[in-house]
Amino acid sequence: MAMTANEIEKKLLKLAKSVQNDKRAPVNFSARVMARVREQHALETSSADERFLKFARNLPGNEHVPYAFEKRIMACIRELLTPDPLAFWSRMLWRAVAPCFGVMILAALFSTKESTGAFIDQATFDPAETMTETVDSESTDFETVMLASFDDLENTW
Amino acid sequence: MLATEISPKTDVRTDEELVGIVVGGEVDCFEELINRYQSRVFGMARKYFRNESDVEDVVQTIFTKTFQKLDSYKGTAPFEHWFMRISVNSFYDALRRKRNRPEHTISDTIFDDESWQDRLGNIPEASDREEQEQARELVHTVLDQVSDRARIVLTLQELEGRTIKEIAEITGWSESLVKVQAFRARKEMRAAVERFLSREKRIVT
Repeated sequence: MAMTANEIEKKLLKLAKSVQNDKRAPVNFSARVMARVREQHALETSSADERFLKFARNLPGNEHVPYAFEKRIMACIRELLTPDPLAFWSRMLWRAVAPCFGVMILAALFSTKESTGAFIDQATFDPAETMTETVDSESTDFETVMLASFDDLENTW
Repeated sequence: MLATEISPKTDVRTDEELVGIVVGGEVDCFEELINRYQSRVFGMARKYFRNESDVEDVVQTIFTKTFQKLDSYKGTAPFEHWFMRISVNSFYDALRRKRNRPEHTISDTIFDDESWQDRLGNIPEASDREEQEQARELVHTVLDQVSDRARIVLTLQELEGRTIKEIAEITGWSESLVKVQAFRARKEMRAAVERFLSREKRIVT
């Protein structure tokens, strides 16, 4: 009895499915493929900067630690923890700079205001006379201050 | 009598636990953290600095800075990330300080026996110390020509294989800034390599 084309096809498919897969690979097949892959990669990375990066990337890292390095660090840390009175003193001095400067400015402003106030009071009392007196006294004061050091020189004994 | 074998002490506490203990006052526990990270930090530092004393200085600075900032570690991110951020920032600072006093020029690294192109093709064996030193010297000389930011990005991305996201986390820059920096870094490096090659060609001819 002759088989129909459909039946032949089905039989062939069944036969094909029953055939075991041959999973054996040719000898050194992976090596051969990898050689081609490397060749291709070399072609792709032929530019100098790519080659440089590849070179730098493949350099073995050096993670060598000097002998007892951790002890050295711990010694530094312990040193940091011990209080240094001089460092503390200098830190405090630096911190005091800004407030001192502020106080100085306030004192200067206050003294300027005071002297101007006194000057106005005096000026209202007797304008012409007081004005001359103030200028005189200020110039005398200035002269005394400027020449104070020279006065001391005379009394060297 | 049998000799008792002393096994190396392994601390099973996590980094975060150790940080808590150190912050609590047991300063000696910080040594364990140093032991865990020192080899990696040395490996990283040697990618940025050729001089061994510079490497030791920067590693010492990193650990000292880490200790001083331990109070500010919140524990929201792994300690390793936080520590790496301090490390990379310290490398950047140290590179900037060193920028003013360059030690080597391109001409110092021209090899008599072998052209630069040939040398790039030969990655030295792990056992050959001298070859490795020369190779490192070459890499440093080229990378010294790029800016500090570019060097940081190149080292993190190209040499250490970190992603843009990781670099952004480590450096504190945005991802888009990292991308821009990476692009500029490649450009700077390409220019440095070309300068190197043209100089070598001039010397040969």
